[in-house]
Amino acid sequence: MSFDDYVTRYFPVDAEVSSAFDRLPDKLNEHGYDPWGFQPNIAKHLYSAIGRPLYNYFRPTVTGLQNLPPGRCLLIGNHSGQLPLDGMVVAVACLLHGEPPRMVRAMAERYFPRVPFLNEMFARGGVVVGDPINCRNLLEAGNAILVFPEGARGCGKPIQQRYQLTRFGRGFMRLALQTDTPVVPFSVIGAEESIPSVANFKPLAQMLGAPYVPIPLHLPLLGPLSYLPLPTKFYLDFGAPMTFSGLYDDEDELIDEKVAVVRDRIQAMIDEGLTRRPSIF
Amino acid sequence: MATIIVTGIAGSLARLTALELLRRGDEVIGVDYRPKPDTFPKGILFYRASYNKTRIADVFRRHKPDAVLHLGRVATRRVDGNKRFDLNVVGSAKIQELSVQHRVKTLIVLSTYHIYGAHPHNHVPILEDEPVRALQTVPELSDAIQLDTQAVTWTYRHRAMRTVVLRPSNVIGPHINNTTCRYLRLPRIPYLLGFNPMWQFIHETDLLRAVLLVLDSEDRWGAFNVTGRGALPVVEALKLAGAPLVPLLPGFIKPYLRLNPGARPALPGYLIDFLKYPVMVSDQRFREGFGFEPRVGVREAVRSSVTRMPMDAVL
Repeated sequence: MSFDDYVTRYFPVDAEVSSAFDRLPDKLNEHGYDPWGFQPNIAKHLYSAIGRPLYNYFRPTVTGLQNLPPGRCLLIGNHSGQLPLDGMVVAVACLLHGEPPRMVRAMAERYFPRVPFLNEMFARGGVVVGDPINCRNLLEAGNAILVFPEGARGCGKPIQQRYQLTRFGRGFMRLALQTDTPVVPFSVIGAEESIPSVANFKPLAQMLGAPYVPIPLHLPLLGPLSYLPLPTKFYLDFGAPMTFSGLYDDEDELIDEKVAVVRDRIQAMIDEGLTRRPSIF
Repeated sequence: MATIIVTGIAGSLARLTALELLRRGDEVIGVDYRPKPDTFPKGILFYRASYNKTRIADVFRRHKPDAVLHLGRVATRRVDGNKRFDLNVVGSAKIQELSVQHRVKTLIVLSTYHIYGAHPHNHVPILEDEPVRALQTVPELSDAIQLDTQAVTWTYRHRAMRTVVLRPSNVIGPHINNTTCRYLRLPRIPYLLGFNPMWQFIHETDLLRAVLLVLDSEDRWGAFNVTGRGALPVVEALKLAGAPLVPLLPGFIKPYLRLNPGARPALPGYLIDFLKYPVMVSDQRFREGFGFEPRVGVREAVRSSVTRMPMDAVL
């Protein structure tokens, strides 16, 4: 029995997730797969078993999803929380509450195809290798792509720097300019506190070849259990689409100016969201 | 009526192509470094000649071909090291030179999608102009890469002759006896547990049609990916073969092959990476350029390839 068979047999399907998948536009080959290996009939099991419980755990309040334009778009947001759970919650939110439901394609670290089982799970669930050509091809095929331009810098930052955006990469802006794709800024509030890390255990990270190893604030109290995310409440807000024009292969400084516009917009959305947040939980 | 030299004529694909050309009324001259097979189409002249030796020059001189179908790339498992280099690299260069010398109008070179290499960083889909990665991981494919690149260089260097390089995905079919077909025909099929990349296939009849389309076109040249309809994760495709599957953790595949020598020719070292990482090619350029529409889907193609059909029935 292959991994796909195992998933379809043992991972039960959530009715809401299933009906959202059934409403997605069909861009598959005659065997039900897209060229990247995405298979909605398997993805609905994965979303039901992993994405949906996570979504329920963080109970997000979602606003602004009507801002998602039809067709291709780049969803650009702040990354936080030590584990990429924010991305999964955003993807489930767009699927369940998008009107029509949107399948968000996430770009993952380049090591993932090497990891047994994870590579299959990601591919069937619609995640692709974070490569600019992959991203361009997906955009040209009319997909919505989720990008965290901060990458591991944002995800692994300590709690003292919460809700302060780190440096943004330029790749997303070059792709937006090249493919004439609108950028939808979004903010995630609540993920920062899910695993409040006080420091990065650099020697261990280097040993493991990982970008960082967090030291949770409550590590002395809970030991390894402190690596489980706390049930903080998430607030997701999607802003109005931003369009940019210019040369995609322009000088870095000129691209940086455009990136800064998006970054400032997201920071403003975060700051505004924080003032409205009643409590962390 | 055209005079056409077909290399690799001892192989099934070349014989099927030659037969089709014969039916259309062309004169076909078959060349191979291997001996003449027992079942050989009547009406086709056979020469046994290594592509890198002088005898191949005699064939060109004697027959003055209008077109050359160089379908005779030597597979990794058949011939080792130096001899394979001589046939695939030195030999192919000689065929190209002779083609120019004898004012051949069209040269078609059959390459393979394997040259792109199975690599975890591969994007989807891969276009013809993109870098080939196979050498990074599999040195055994160096001669296949060199054969391809020198043919591609030819497309630009000798514009009086039209050179078309075809890079098909996994070629399968009831008459084909290549590595992929052998893999599908194993009594127990091993695969890598935890990996299941997308695979593309092209059925022998589709590839044959593609070659004829290229031959009949007049102004298109260059390198083209060519593949059949659709793609499937490799394990799903293997299931269609019907034999029991043997899931193996990556570290166990080499010991398994050591214990099962029968499976070795079906699973050479370079193929193991293809069981891990996807190599999905785009055939859009070929479809648009030549008006090609593949007819056989993955399911039919795999099912039809499980039992090997002897060539006698066709001939």
